Amino acid sequence: MRRLKTKPFPYYVGLHSLEELVTREHRVCVMNILGSESRKVTPVSHEYSGGNIVAGVQYGRRGTLETKIGNIPVYRSIREVMEKGITFDMGVVYIPPLGVCKAVSELVTHNEALKRIVIVTEKVPARDSRNIRALCQEAGVDVIGANCLGMANAWDRVRIGGSLGGDHPEETLVKGSIAIHSNSGNFTTTMAEYLRTAGFGISTAVSSGKDVYIHFALPEFLYAAQNDPRTKAVVIYVEPGGYYEKMALDWIKDRVFGFTKPIIACVTGRWKKNITRACGHAGALSGGGDDAEGKERWFDDYFGVDVFDPKTCKVSKRGVRVSSIQYIPDAVKAVFEKIDEKPDFPSTGDLSLKLWLGDTMVKVPPALDLPIVLAPAPYDRQIVEVNKQVGAHYLRQNMACKSGASRMNPETQVSELHGKTVLDLSRRTLEENLYFALAKVMPEKSDIPTLNLILNLFMKIDERRMNLIDVGRANGCTPNAYLASQIALVGDKELLAKSRGHARFIIDLIREFMLDEHTKTFPPELDAYVQEHLLRSEPSRKTDVSELLFKEVKKSKKSCVALKVCQHIIDLAEERGLEIRDTYEFLLATIAVCVLWNPMLEKRISRQLVEDSVTYFYLMSRIVAYSVVDREHNPHWKKLVDQKLSNLNHSFTENAFKVLFGRVPTPSDLLELQTLLGLTITNGPGTLSAKGAKESVSARNDISMAFVGFLANTGRAHGGNGYEAIAFLVEQFKDAVLPDPGDPDHGVDLQQMANRAARAYGAYKKQAQEVEDGAVKPIPCINHPVFRGNKINVDPREQFVSGMLAEKGVYNAFWEFYRHLVKELYAEGVTKNVFCVNVDAVLSVITLKLVWKDLQAGRINLRQVQELAFTLFLFGRTVGASAEIADHRDRGLDMDCRTPESELSYVL
Amino acid sequence: MQLSGLRYGSKLLQLVEFPVADFIDGSATNQEIQQFLEKHRKLVVKPAFYGGVGKKGKAGLVRIVSTLQEALQAKRELFFAQHTYGNKTVTANGVTMEAFVPSDLEVYFSISSSSEFRGPVFTITPWGGVDIEALPPEKKAVVEIDPFIGINAFEITNALTDTGCPEAFISALVQHLPKLWELYDGYGLTTIELNPIRVMRKGNQLLPVACDVKASFDQDNPAWKRIGLPDALFQTETTAFEADINELRTYQGQSDVLEMNPNGSIIPFMFGGGANSAATETLGEAAIFSSDFGGNPPYEKIYEISRITFEHWYDKASMLLLIGGKANNTDIYVTFKGVFDALRDHASKAGWKPLYVVIGRGGPNVVKGMFYAKDILDRLRFPYKVFGHDTSMILTLEYAKRLDEWWRAEGASAYRNELETQVRA
Repeated sequence: MRRLKTKPFPYYVGLHSLEELVTREHRVCVMNILGSESRKVTPVSHEYSGGNIVAGVQYGRRGTLETKIGNIPVYRSIREVMEKGITFDMGVVYIPPLGVCKAVSELVTHNEALKRIVIVTEKVPARDSRNIRALCQEAGVDVIGANCLGMANAWDRVRIGGSLGGDHPEETLVKGSIAIHSNSGNFTTTMAEYLRTAGFGISTAVSSGKDVYIHFALPEFLYAAQNDPRTKAVVIYVEPGGYYEKMALDWIKDRVFGFTKPIIACVTGRWKKNITRACGHAGALSGGGDDAEGKERWFDDYFGVDVFDPKTCKVSKRGVRVSSIQYIPDAVKAVFEKIDEKPDFPSTGDLSLKLWLGDTMVKVPPALDLPIVLAPAPYDRQIVEVNKQVGAHYLRQNMACKSGASRMNPETQVSELHGKTVLDLSRRTLEENLYFALAKVMPEKSDIPTLNLILNLFMKIDERRMNLIDVGRANGCTPNAYLASQIALVGDKELLAKSRGHARFIIDLIREFMLDEHTKTFPPELDAYVQEHLLRSEPSRKTDVSELLFKEVKKSKKSCVALKVCQHIIDLAEERGLEIRDTYEFLLATIAVCVLWNPMLEKRISRQLVEDSVTYFYLMSRIVAYSVVDREHNPHWKKLVDQKLSNLNHSFTENAFKVLFGRVPTPSDLLELQTLLGLTITNGPGTLSAKGAKESVSARNDISMAFVGFLANTGRAHGGNGYEAIAFLVEQFKDAVLPDPGDPDHGVDLQQMANRAARAYGAYKKQAQEVEDGAVKPIPCINHPVFRGNKINVDPREQFVSGMLAEKGVYNAFWEFYRHLVKELYAEGVTKNVFCVNVDAVLSVITLKLVWKDLQAGRINLRQVQELAFTLFLFGRTVGASAEIADHRDRGLDMDCRTPESELSYVL
Repeated sequence: MQLSGLRYGSKLLQLVEFPVADFIDGSATNQEIQQFLEKHRKLVVKPAFYGGVGKKGKAGLVRIVSTLQEALQAKRELFFAQHTYGNKTVTANGVTMEAFVPSDLEVYFSISSSSEFRGPVFTITPWGGVDIEALPPEKKAVVEIDPFIGINAFEITNALTDTGCPEAFISALVQHLPKLWELYDGYGLTTIELNPIRVMRKGNQLLPVACDVKASFDQDNPAWKRIGLPDALFQTETTAFEADINELRTYQGQSDVLEMNPNGSIIPFMFGGGANSAATETLGEAAIFSSDFGGNPPYEKIYEISRITFEHWYDKASMLLLIGGKANNTDIYVTFKGVFDALRDHASKAGWKPLYVVIGRGGPNVVKGMFYAKDILDRLRFPYKVFGHDTSMILTLEYAKRLDEWWRAEGASAYRNELETQVRA
């Protein structure tokens, strides 16, 4: 095979000295510059290296990559870069593996001035790697990588390729006399860091990669290091696989090229001897003699001394092998003494065990016990600062069609909120589910009374506000419309804003003074801080409700740091004869922080959510309070909403029932209500209601307006579809004598009724099909696009709920009718198979059953029943919307729900 | 990913029409074996293994038979034969019975990657049928291949001439051997070895016939998928844990695992190829697996990796170790968030069981990542020790091992008792 050869090598090497490998004079073009990795790494490299990246390529796209020292222009191809008259001599490749060879070909084809290519990409096929070698050998181009982090020159402060030295290369890549060649990118930086502690800096560092082929391998590296006046010694990190090191050492011994500088070599990977599949570096898989032990022997023979022992520090002038990278600093020191050289700068520490953080829960034996030490700067300051942070953090991203809260399981078609199915949620109360929607875990038993207290408190409204609702109703508004009008006016009212401020204050206090539930005494600095920022001499406004909260907080024995802090503040205020500013809001915030503290510590929820939680509780309560159907005739209404302390300790679900149905619920009523609400909590982020909420957050509205977004996106087709099913059922049962649909001995022949309905529908269908457009109105709430096609079809959600209620002895005549109906439709030949009764039917039959007696007695009319069905949907969905809003506020971006122009179309 | 033997190797060679010895597999009836014997007079019976298994001849697992009785006896003995090579023991999954090819010449031929030449080479000797390493240099030739041209006929001729191949055989070999480059280059192979190739007489002509094949495939080159080999062939090389993690494999790496000791006690999350090599070596038997989760994995991926890992090992392990050097590009906060969110979620599902957590790491957002871990571990009441990049990675590993030994021996049970006492109080 004919090819270029550069003496002393039997192949092409375009480098004489390491000094020339990477300099500030080199001009760089980065391929796939806007890819996820390059987008982060390239600006740091560019800024560190004095702006040496002259262009980038992103196939098919033009643009720029912003950096602190100016933007890098981005073109669609190398040809375009060349046409712009931009010259460069270094190529960096971040292209995904199967495109790497083509990218190299493009670089080599279009740029004759090219000197070197750094391939950062991992998992390049061996076939492409050998083709790259052949291409570049022919073109006279050096290749570094693939699967590497490139190279850096600490003297000139320049790095080309990947991210050696991380985000702050100047921290680690300190000027000095050691050249590094490493099979591991991470170890290149780590070894530089270790060397720095012992007083040694770097001349040039090369991350060679460890694929099957290493294109810039040890022979050419050592040759160039010998010719580099800055380099006094070489540190190398080696893994099994390949004979590169043997070649280099043999050539030195055979005087193919002269090499007189010491080498400190670390070989690891003895364990890889017997594995047949690579783990970690693709090329770190040995064949016969190139396993770790073989490589250790090559070096030991070359050095003429055994592996480095830190006790004896025996080395030769040629260097020494170390068994792990931790011995590199000591070995380099010993070698430098041997060759009569001094370290580059004073030592900055050592590599001994230094514990940055440790628990206080477990006492370890003295031999294992380590003190916590101060981390080096700037990490010491970061530790103090970060320790104050609390709660989950999310990466901001476009959340337009995404949700971290809900999803529809595509296999089961059952929706889930925070990983729990709506079926599971239908076993829980409204207050539990609302808490779950926010906290992502169910409340502890001891939190439930607190939740009820705060939710019931917020039902206390100024009744004059109901006038607006009456106007809406009179104008034919649907429930979502009149509720939205009220909620929109909530804005970010003082009560909510102040509660948020207090929640923030409490959390800050806890983290700033490093308090936890074991804290027994509070520091005087805390007292002084509280007095300055929270206490005052003017009396606070007091109401029965605030007095009640005050007593609740004061007497609570719950083990929660937020509560302890607030109790301490109350004591402090009393002791000093002062008042807490905005006491009511302070107490609300205390309660909210307290109930959500643990999920926040567990990083389940963000701090923002905890601060906002009073708002969510408030809005949920208000939606319930404003939903009263016929308040004039509701005997419970006044007590629920007046400013007195009645009803506060009841279950919020029970109070919600009273608002809607005007009676005290039986256990079976409550069970059915919570089943119904649970089932409607979510149907995934693609639903209109979820989208409405998310879009409103995306427009950076207050939380209350995000609820309006959700409400505005419900309607007769979404949430109000119970209208049709209820009308259908009422029509079917209009002549039946059914005093109690919950009594299984009702005496009505439901099968016969269903048969009648099936025949009537069959006749209607036939007639409708005969007319020209043939549109047939379906029977509501039967059949489902997913649960169809079998001889007998079942909606598993309906089946689950039916089983659950049957277990509790709850019967529903309307439901039974529906089940007969689907069978009769099939028996009468109206349908080709037995349709399922779908989950929407469940909502309608439960609603109708709950109001049947009132409807029969004329205490409520059909329209009110239909509004009620819609309102019940809204109650359930408010819980889901709360989760969706909180999630989008945590993760989303401003305007992320906007549809890009490219995805829009104009319809004629 | 490797294969050996004619059962699947023949499929490979047929792609380039390279002649292969006739063979039947273990499912052949007595009548079929008898007929096969009558046609070829002698059969070579070998156990069939999944994956790449060498040194079968040396282990006495290759039998030459000439009667049905001998063939059945060999089948019985070899059908589930166990074979140990290196530190691995494999069990056969049937046998192949290959036609014995009478020949005066056995050739060894392979194509592989050479670090010496930084490219592909072929190795050839007319003294085949033995270990290639055992042959003196003058009896074998190693020839560099230009990847854009492939194997030239003249290179085969010269190599065979130089190594003493009788002239009569050269022409037949030159006709067929260059085809193997097409196979090697076109189907994502990293090695192919034919040993022996026996040159048989067919009428007036000589025909080289492959009597055994070994091949390994490049996991990073999807071209091998076009061959249509059964999935099970490579699945047996991976454990259930590895297979689950492999589902997440992308070109960015970030999810390499190798199960080392399912009875180990430490779940080691290693970040970076160097950490993988050094940490696996230092931890030895204590490590349940070896891993490389470096390369800045996104949150979703590291969460999923961690979820799978805890599902497999949470119950068995006593320590969770996160180890790596000072990261260049990996966002420590994102990776730690993934790991500890998954730990929290798994612990709340699987029940409380205190793992001792040791961390040694540096890099972008390291403090934020460490505090993320700390907050969750405090809530979970899992003890922990966290070291920065100013501590030697190896010292951290050695310390973790000692801590784990104590934790398993007495620490964990004492801690449990203490907590139970507190709860009762």
